[in-house]
Amino acid sequence: MFSLLVERELKGILLSPKFTATFGVCSLLMLLSLFVGIQEYRHSVDQYNTAIQLNDRELAGETSWWGVESRVYRRPDPMQVFVSGVDYDVGRLSEISTWNEVKLQNSAYSDDSLFAIFRFVDFTFIVQIVLSLFAILFTYDSINGERETGTLKLSLANAVPRPRYVLAKFVGAWVGLTIPVLIPILLAVLVVLLVGLPMSADNWAKLAAFLGVSVLYFTFFIALGIFVSAITRRSSVSFLILLVIWVALVLIIPRAATMAAGQIVRVASVAEIDARKDRYSTDRWLSYRSSRMQQRDEREAQMANMTEEERGAFRAANSRRWAEEDDALRQSTTEDIAEYNRRLDEDLNNQKAEMQAIAFSLSRISPASAFQIAAMNLAGTNIDVKTRYEQAMQTYRNAFSTFVNAKRQEERAKDRRRFSTGQDEPLDLTEMPRFQPPDYTFKEALAPSVVDMGLLSLYSLLAFAGAFVAFLKYDVR
Amino acid sequence: MLRLIIDKELREIIGSTKFAVTFGVMSLLILLAFYVGARNYQISTQDYEAAVAENLKQMEGLTDWNRVDNRIFLKPEPLTALVSGISNDIGRTVEIQTQWEPRSEDSRFNEDPIYAVFRFIDLEFIFSIVLSLFAILFVYDAVNGEKERGTLRLAFANAVPRDKYILGKLIGSFVALAVPLLVPILIGCGLLPLLGVSMDSSSWIRLGIVIAAGLMYLGVFLTLSIFVSSMTERSSSSFLLLLVVWIFAVLIIPRTAVFVAGRAVDVPTVDAIDFQKSSYMSQLWDEDMKKMDEFRRSPAGQAEAQEDRRRRWRAYMSQLADERTEKIDAFAQRLNEDRRNRDLARQRVALGIARISPASVFTLAATDLAGTSLDLKNRFDVAARAYREAYTRFIVDKTGSSGAGWWMSGNNQDAEEINPYELPAFEYQAAPVSDYVTSALPDLAILMLFNFAFFAGAFLAFLRYDVR
Repeated sequence: MFSLLVERELKGILLSPKFTATFGVCSLLMLLSLFVGIQEYRHSVDQYNTAIQLNDRELAGETSWWGVESRVYRRPDPMQVFVSGVDYDVGRLSEISTWNEVKLQNSAYSDDSLFAIFRFVDFTFIVQIVLSLFAILFTYDSINGERETGTLKLSLANAVPRPRYVLAKFVGAWVGLTIPVLIPILLAVLVVLLVGLPMSADNWAKLAAFLGVSVLYFTFFIALGIFVSAITRRSSVSFLILLVIWVALVLIIPRAATMAAGQIVRVASVAEIDARKDRYSTDRWLSYRSSRMQQRDEREAQMANMTEEERGAFRAANSRRWAEEDDALRQSTTEDIAEYNRRLDEDLNNQKAEMQAIAFSLSRISPASAFQIAAMNLAGTNIDVKTRYEQAMQTYRNAFSTFVNAKRQEERAKDRRRFSTGQDEPLDLTEMPRFQPPDYTFKEALAPSVVDMGLLSLYSLLAFAGAFVAFLKYDVR
Repeated sequence: MLRLIIDKELREIIGSTKFAVTFGVMSLLILLAFYVGARNYQISTQDYEAAVAENLKQMEGLTDWNRVDNRIFLKPEPLTALVSGISNDIGRTVEIQTQWEPRSEDSRFNEDPIYAVFRFIDLEFIFSIVLSLFAILFVYDAVNGEKERGTLRLAFANAVPRDKYILGKLIGSFVALAVPLLVPILIGCGLLPLLGVSMDSSSWIRLGIVIAAGLMYLGVFLTLSIFVSSMTERSSSSFLLLLVVWIFAVLIIPRTAVFVAGRAVDVPTVDAIDFQKSSYMSQLWDEDMKKMDEFRRSPAGQAEAQEDRRRRWRAYMSQLADERTEKIDAFAQRLNEDRRNRDLARQRVALGIARISPASVFTLAATDLAGTSLDLKNRFDVAARAYREAYTRFIVDKTGSSGAGWWMSGNNQDAEEINPYELPAFEYQAAPVSDYVTSALPDLAILMLFNFAFFAGAFLAFLRYDVR
């Protein structure tokens, strides 16, 4: 009996013209997004490789360690094809030097703002907006439509228990819609294999998890459609209600939640923080200079009553200690500044984290946000990509500075002149540390997504439970 | 007769539950957009003012103009909050130095990627996505729905000319949707001054045209829906067809067209240009090193006093640095111009193709009017360059040199403190209204063209429509 009901539902969906249209559109869109995504990925890989080459070439042209600085880049990740997340919004590179802090700059959208006008179309976008709309389109009249055509009364005139009927409706709709959606998805996977997108095992796992989350999200809208259809008498009403819910869940709540969080927590702007950092560093260097002057005066005072010869001897005897004192003073100044900057950054990051926590919790009321957050976490194109890279770049900068400073010392020992004449040999860069982009393993990706997967399951369950209960009390006449 | 048809259409729409629901939703959204826009504007204005003040404050106590780190900021505009365009994607801060070319950094989305995740609700978003969807929802069955219910046959049992009938349908549905829409918009406009957003007359005029463009865009989807409705027999198929068209026109074409066409035109990457600049820089630097070495070794002036020699050295260094800056500026300008020209060519191709969708046309018109189109980036760059020149003149005026060689000179400890408030002020100036309107005119014309084309289609289709 159950399988008969499911079969009937399946036939109803698969044979409708609606199905052909939506299936065609979905397949087209998914392949289109994949095409654009792969094109963009390749473009960014090219850009990444060229930039690294150019940077190496520039370093190879240097003849003195004095002015050596470098640039490090965010490595494109094939997962961005499916979930672009904030990848295009976050800076692609950071300058690495002994004097400037790490800061991601030059986001793809700020470099080429043309692409920012309408933004990107990726798998996530299609699932989040188009598939959810289609799910509604197929289920809005699943119960009340049958009532309107009179078939509901007929069906229930047989000995069909209502729970089984509504379950069959759900299963039928789910199978009828999910399996066809899986076909273009599998096709897409095939394309990925054919074009040789460099997907690691971890990436495949992430992709599988992402597809799982997509199905979960889709399931919610199917259940929601049946639910609303079971609490309304007329299909035109249920469609209208569903459309309004869809607009609210998909288009409004995610955006409104972030903006509300922005109003609750005031986060200082980077420009403001930078100015404060400058202020402190200026102050600190001014006081450094006056300490130096004071030190010099003290030393002069000690030598005040000496003859020229004694002075020379005194200088020679103390030169090492003085140099150490000078170095210590300079170092403590740099350290103070670094510490101050670190504290400011930490404060800023805390504010941001607080704001993010509020924004995400508020927006998760909507399954569309939960889905998007989970997708971005899985793909590694979440907002953490920024801190992840900034930390890795910071670590690299420390290694870089240590190395370059040591080299500068060597250079100074050899030749006290700070500037070369351009005729020296190029630098030996073989030992220079190289930047290793941070890894983002499947395990790391899965952990933060679990919450959202749980939420999506909960929402689906609630919607289905609602449909179930509503249908038990439904007046089939 | 026409009036009667319009009247009927009006009553039918306004009396429906659909109308009550969508009107409520739209009003809520529009008011939300205005409220949030105003609040956002206030917050970004606060940020801007804090940044400007901090920038000057951090210079207090310095004694040497050459040690100043000066930054300028993009001032938020009230319309930006209503039509955000690319304003969140471009850098808002520029560090101004005499010897480096200015470059904007710290885009809002890079700074706070959380906003990039879901983006903002603005008027442009609500119009282009939600309003168009609702337009379809109201008129997808304008003709074939009447046929299904049998009212179409009844109407034509009277002596109603078909052209009047279809025109009446269009006018009726347009008035029924547009007039109620204007209510929350006007309330929103009234809210702006109350929420502390001071709009000048230029902004009001531009906002007015943005709203007019929004109504034209609504018209495009109404005429399109009537067109499709009078081409199809059943309302369910016209709805499906319209939904597919909507998905493509609003969600897909703008995005894919720009990415596909945009990548077809080759534009050098910013990285490549940066490296060209820096390798030219180090080439110049190497040449100057040789010159400095020659200067040091030159026997001339060996006899002069150390103080004189040092002064002459400093002057020479400064001269070299200025020449270097001039050369690198000319070089950079050439590269930038070349990139910009190619970028413009790419924009023409990409946006030209994107314009097959009315949604892109509307977005482009609205962002042009609000001053948040691609031009914003260019205008800010130009303003920053002009400011850098003014700033360099100021520094030369104050210190006698552009300061390009300052790290070679000693710092004068006993000098007086500088007064940072003497610095030339930077305030981003919006262009005159006519500039914005002129750049939006072609898109407004295209929107009208869409209206006419779809209406003509609806008209022709309806003339041959089988009303039975």
